Amino acid sequence: MSQRRSFRGFEENAIALILGLMTAVTFVNVVLRYVFNSSLIWGLEVTLILFAWLVLFGISFAVRVTAHLGVDALTGIMPKRLAHGVALFSAAICLAYSLLLLKGAWDYWAPFAGLYQTEGRWFPVGFDETTRDRAFYVTDQVPMPGFLRFLEGLINQGEEYEKLPRVIPYAILPIGAALLLIRYVQATIRILRGESGTLIVSHEVEEEIDALAHSQKDA
Amino acid sequence: MDVVLLFLMIVGLLLVGVPIAVSLGLSSIVFLLVFSETSLASVAQSFYQAMAGHYTLLAIPFFILASSFMSTGGVAQRIIRFAIAVVGHFRGGLAIAGVFACMMFAALSGSSPATVVAIGSIVIAAMRQVGYTKEFAAGVIANAGTLGILIPPSIVMVVYASSVEVSVGRMFLAGVIPGLLAGFMLMVAIYVIATIKGMPKGDWAGWREVGASFRDAIWGLLLIVIIMVGIYGIPGVTGAIFTPTEAAAVASVYAFIVASFVYRDMGPLADRDGAGKIALWKKPQALVTALFHPDTRATLFDAGKLTITLMFIIANALILKHVLTDEQIPQSIANAMLSAGFGKIMFLIVVNVILLIGGQFMEPSGLIVIVAPLVFPIAIELGVDPIHLGIIMVVNMEIGMITPPVGLNLFVTSGVAGMPMMKVVKAALPFLGVLFIFLIMVTYIPWLSTWLPTSAMGPEIITN
Amino acid sequence: DPTKCDDGEIVMKFSHVTNTDKHPKGIAANLFMERVNAEMDGTACVEVYPNSTLYNDDQVLEAMLQGDVQFAAPSLSKFETFTKVFRIFDLPFMFKNMDAVEAFQNSPTGEAMKDAMVRRGLQGLEFWHNGLKQFSANKPLLMPEDAAGLKFRVQPSDVLVAQMEALNASPQPMAFSEVYGALQTGVVDGQENSWSNIYGQKFFEVQDGITETNHGLLDYMVVASVDWLDSLDPAVRDQVLTILAEVTDERNAAVAEVDNAARQAILDAGGVIRELTDEQRQAWVDAMKPVWSQFEADVGADNIAAAQEINASM
Ligand code: NA
Ligand code: NA
Repeated sequence: MSQRRSFRGFEENAIALILGLMTAVTFVNVVLRYVFNSSLIWGLEVTLILFAWLVLFGISFAVRVTAHLGVDALTGIMPKRLAHGVALFSAAICLAYSLLLLKGAWDYWAPFAGLYQTEGRWFPVGFDETTRDRAFYVTDQVPMPGFLRFLEGLINQGEEYEKLPRVIPYAILPIGAALLLIRYVQATIRILRGESGTLIVSHEVEEEIDALAHSQKDA
Repeated sequence: MDVVLLFLMIVGLLLVGVPIAVSLGLSSIVFLLVFSETSLASVAQSFYQAMAGHYTLLAIPFFILASSFMSTGGVAQRIIRFAIAVVGHFRGGLAIAGVFACMMFAALSGSSPATVVAIGSIVIAAMRQVGYTKEFAAGVIANAGTLGILIPPSIVMVVYASSVEVSVGRMFLAGVIPGLLAGFMLMVAIYVIATIKGMPKGDWAGWREVGASFRDAIWGLLLIVIIMVGIYGIPGVTGAIFTPTEAAAVASVYAFIVASFVYRDMGPLADRDGAGKIALWKKPQALVTALFHPDTRATLFDAGKLTITLMFIIANALILKHVLTDEQIPQSIANAMLSAGFGKIMFLIVVNVILLIGGQFMEPSGLIVIVAPLVFPIAIELGVDPIHLGIIMVVNMEIGMITPPVGLNLFVTSGVAGMPMMKVVKAALPFLGVLFIFLIMVTYIPWLSTWLPTSAMGPEIITN
Repeated sequence: DPTKCDDGEIVMKFSHVTNTDKHPKGIAANLFMERVNAEMDGTACVEVYPNSTLYNDDQVLEAMLQGDVQFAAPSLSKFETFTKVFRIFDLPFMFKNMDAVEAFQNSPTGEAMKDAMVRRGLQGLEFWHNGLKQFSANKPLLMPEDAAGLKFRVQPSDVLVAQMEALNASPQPMAFSEVYGALQTGVVDGQENSWSNIYGQKFFEVQDGITETNHGLLDYMVVASVDWLDSLDPAVRDQVLTILAEVTDERNAAVAEVDNAARQAILDAGGVIRELTDEQRQAWVDAMKPVWSQFEADVGADNIAAAQEINASM
């Protein structure tokens, strides 16, 4: 239990940190340009990568805390047994979505990592050993950090990377999709056990309202 | 026909409680697998590029963050105090002040629900104390809160500008006159109702209170100036300083500074256990510790979480858009509508109807991502100004937010006011009428939207 | 139906980022589509996706390697990632005029460049012209010193960044869609582009003037995936590529006209164009040419020599 809580803490901190970094880099670039007439040429691209990370990392967390928006007008007025069945159906849909997304994410990312794509149009039936390597593909402007140089030997046939290879930013795709799948499996188990009745929150900002009401009592 | 099946699948999944994002995404994937040759990997590419490939959408997390700092940092209370000082003494004064406060907060925040939360949670309670009914209070705020996306900055405008590649700065300017007009119409409606029903009026607290409350609110209101000057510059003094996207990031940093070091309602200098706020010179290390303070972290996290849920929907709407484009659906719909002999007027009516119906199910940004590319080519063909079209869409989204079953402002208002949603729906109805009249005005009087951007930035260029 | 794709035809998607009727690339892509659809009706067809509706230039090459799009024509600097030889086209004052560009691209060196990315999975097919690049800014640019301290929007390419630094100007990365607004409001001071783009994007409206430097090249290369080309029936492939080559000849020959028309249209619309004297032009060359040595190892000294030989023969 405590382990689960600490991971939630890690996820929350990561979300806060990524958004903080995005803001800081963008702000610094404005200051550099307006005041110092210069710029971090990689600033824009790094911010966009962080933006993708924020969302792809965060969607699984939002499943964990049931924060994704949906329509509960119909499910809210269903008799309990029907509602349970419908919730299980929704869970199956979400599992199907995350499985397909995971296959797509792997197939997209694997060539950049010098790995094989899966075979099969929608169901992976093995690896495609004719996959053409895309490990050479680098980002437009992001500098190559020294500690990642081992990648040159590992996936790029020893050729030097002048920029950060795309395999790094894109890695969030299979990671995010895998985490999403795990969270939907957990959510499905919760519904099966009757611990939870839904995958969505319609009253989207309830938590924020509570927090706000709380903070105003303090003030 | 295939497309009809696609949309039926989306609606069906929505109704059984599948998250909006997953309904859009899975339907698109199934459509792609069945009807096209395109790979599943392209879905992943679209998802990633929804963020990394859309520079303008980057404004969304930043505007959400600025708004979070503004709400937790006590800017809202100060704005409300100023609004009451100015218009509180009219018949229905507190309600009018609520609208005025919503308008001011809308000029700081890019989102409507955020406006309702920030202003509504304070004003609704205050209105009840002086004798308004709960219903009236909730109805006023649910409606006035929708101005959050019409008065710039606006997340929905950012999404529109990004999906049809028009200038965000232009869209923001286009929202100014309609935003002021809609606010004014709501105030007049309240005044009329309040006079007929003999609703309470406050006391005129004097110019001294107007001045004092203004001085207290100035740090918050200054953000409006920073955003506007930063995006458009001051003729003869400075050129623009940042792009609209960067403006949002600067706004976040400014709001953080005001909240942590000026108002000190949050962060290391805030009042703990009644010990009073701490002066910065007594605790200079706060300049650094504020960055890592739990309050800062919590605000960043809240804004991040909201960004994630919103972008999950937008990203999947972009996957749907990609799949539709891949199958050349927009062209066939455009051809069908054009060969049906649609004129400008008929077209605008159809757009309004599509959006009003879509708005019953969808979250505004997601809906715009899907509908804008479908109707944009037709609009250009018929000579509808893209900026005008954008404002029409935004006003439709406003109405969608206060009509069931998916109405973000309804949910938020019911939460803030502690009322069942259907009661809020009923309470919002009279003012919904006002917004509806406003929609008709905006649709058929294009210069309301186009005059300001055209005079400030020259005529719109259509490069597509 | 000789105007669109019918059931059973091989569908070839062509994704690009410009309009279909005014931009040289869009015009050429549409001509290619019309000819394939008419001449290969029943066998194959082209669908054009303009205006970045399907992919932008950054995404399209990934999608092509993935097999999701068959033709694209990104600007030449987008190929730097695949092989640095392409940096030669971004080097300032490398080509004297468009005739020199044409001759270089048709020379053995240029032909070899089309095959330079085959090991990465891309086959270069044809070079498509846009034109030479001009500088514009919110103040008159006559000498290179005038550009010093100004903020210029450039494409994210190392060569172009180095080129702006050689002028002591500040290179700024910025999404293309933001450029007009940023120039207008003064977030950035200037930019570089071909006449067609300066006219099409109306940049001249929001700049003090355009200086006719002809300092760089904005061209495109039509590419397809090696694997996809191999998968085609040879007869079909030959016919498609023949049509593409003919379209290329026809449109490249007409591009000078499009370029001049755009230049004239800017003047007609009240835009200011500044021509350089020989001394002024030489000053720009002297300021920017040192960039060559920075990238000589990437593009190959022999390739540079080949380009200069062609210049000399003009
Ligand atoms: Na707003
Ligand atoms: Na609605």
